[in-house]
Amino acid sequence: MIKVVDLKKSYGRVEALKSISFEVEKGSVFGFIGRNGAGKTTTMNILTGLIRFNGGKIFINGKDFLKNKQELLKSIGYLPETPTFYNYMNAYEYLNFIARIIGCDLKKSSKSVGKLLEMVKLTKQGKRRIGGYSRGMKQRLALAVAFMNSPEILFLDEPASALDPEGRVEMLELIEDLKDDKITIFLSTHILNDAERVCDRICIIDEGKILLTKNLSELHETYIQPIFDVEFEEDPKNEVNLLKKLSWIESIKENGRRISLYVKDMDYAKKEILKELSKLNTNITGYQIRKSTLEDIFMRMVSKNEII
Amino acid sequence: MRSFKAYFKKEILESVRTNKYLILFIGTIFWALLDPLMLKLLPLLMKNYLPPDIAIMFSTFTRDTAFKTFLNDLFQIGTLFIAFTLMGLLSNEVSLKKLVFPYSRGANPAGVVLAKYIHYAVTISFFILIAFLTNYFYVNSLFIGGILSIEIVLKSSLLYILYYSVLLSILLCLSSLFKKGLIAGITVLVLGYTLSIFNYFKVVRAYLPNYLLFKAADIGYIFDNSLISTVIISFCIIILLVFLSILRMKKIDVA
Repeated sequence: MIKVVDLKKSYGRVEALKSISFEVEKGSVFGFIGRNGAGKTTTMNILTGLIRFNGGKIFINGKDFLKNKQELLKSIGYLPETPTFYNYMNAYEYLNFIARIIGCDLKKSSKSVGKLLEMVKLTKQGKRRIGGYSRGMKQRLALAVAFMNSPEILFLDEPASALDPEGRVEMLELIEDLKDDKITIFLSTHILNDAERVCDRICIIDEGKILLTKNLSELHETYIQPIFDVEFEEDPKNEVNLLKKLSWIESIKENGRRISLYVKDMDYAKKEILKELSKLNTNITGYQIRKSTLEDIFMRMVSKNEII
Repeated sequence: MRSFKAYFKKEILESVRTNKYLILFIGTIFWALLDPLMLKLLPLLMKNYLPPDIAIMFSTFTRDTAFKTFLNDLFQIGTLFIAFTLMGLLSNEVSLKKLVFPYSRGANPAGVVLAKYIHYAVTISFFILIAFLTNYFYVNSLFIGGILSIEIVLKSSLLYILYYSVLLSILLCLSSLFKKGLIAGITVLVLGYTLSIFNYFKVVRAYLPNYLLFKAADIGYIFDNSLISTVIISFCIIILLVFLSILRMKKIDVA
């Protein structure tokens, strides 16, 4: 569906994207995750034809994006992180304006405009000027614009960032429904729990480089690394120093009296950890083995990239 | 064509809701009305304060001189209104990221640029024509003498329409180049005013659009052969600058 090969983008001397490549399958939800400034929005802006790129190739449905841009954009919907509208228009007028650009039948589109506003729960505010909308309302209107003309591919940039908790849950449910309708979704998000819930495939980007692209199930199999959480009665500074000397411990994350141990060899660690903890001259109040989440994998990948 | 139609309607709505029509109306038609009234009333109001020689000058105003005064004011003040009202024609769309949705849904930059240019060129032309006719009506009613006729006024208005169409194309092109509309507005003003200086140089003036203004005020001799090159050059400038604006809007990053 979407194939990106060696995509490069620079802003002056700053390389925003350093030859990134990935593929998105038709009907899948592709989670694009990364820190602020990692290159997520730049990638999305390129794939929606809003900015140019310096090198590489993009194919959508097997067609060269540069050569067939106008045609391909008609099958793409984009929800930017901070949507901007003509504030003097109302929601009906703006959606009709976009319908004219896409080339929808205006008689049919007036019906679909009503349906879209109903879907994003803006029917009552549809005749109010957009300038008076809250951020959440603008986000919902932007979603209606993205859905206009039933696009085959949806690019969602932080779709839940301006929504209240209820709106966020609705957004996730909507994405799950779209997945059932075989719409391809390219989702950029900071909220890793959301990505874990709805995405089929995860791509981690950092400093303009793709760190990994894997199916979520594959990711769990490869990077699943139970974490040993240990809670001490007192501040475990000395104990941490002793544990760091053990060759099978990869890293230790400290959080007050609680520490999280990341290990290199799981089977060996399971046998040895209790022995080593018993050697420490301190009281332990808690111990559990926890499955690593997408957040843990993300943090590990990003911190490894920093070391590189 | 779809983008053209969508943006043409959008520009009409925007001009109504953001009072652009009203501002352009004041910038053009207001002077057509005010100028002859002021010229007629000022000597009466100031008769006790004006030196006798200036008072005589006021009393010798004919329909021709009153019309020329309007032309002069329209150029000086009308240009100011047009430049500052329309300076953000494209730059605001880009800098405020208003093109994100339209471009991401396949809007054609050529349609966007042409819709904006044609809409405002038609609007300004209409206001100029109305302004000239209004001025003719008042000048005819309040002053006597001179050779001013409706034919002269229409010829003169055509040259002003062409001049402002050129100015609009310059504004459009600069607005696509600069992120801040104010720079485009000021540059157009500086260009518009300074190019008028060349009207004093016979050798070059026919090759610059400001010669259109010079000839528009040349009552009795408005259309002559010297205008041919000016008109051709003016149309060339319009086509070239609109084309460059389209090219720029095709290449520009809108997000």
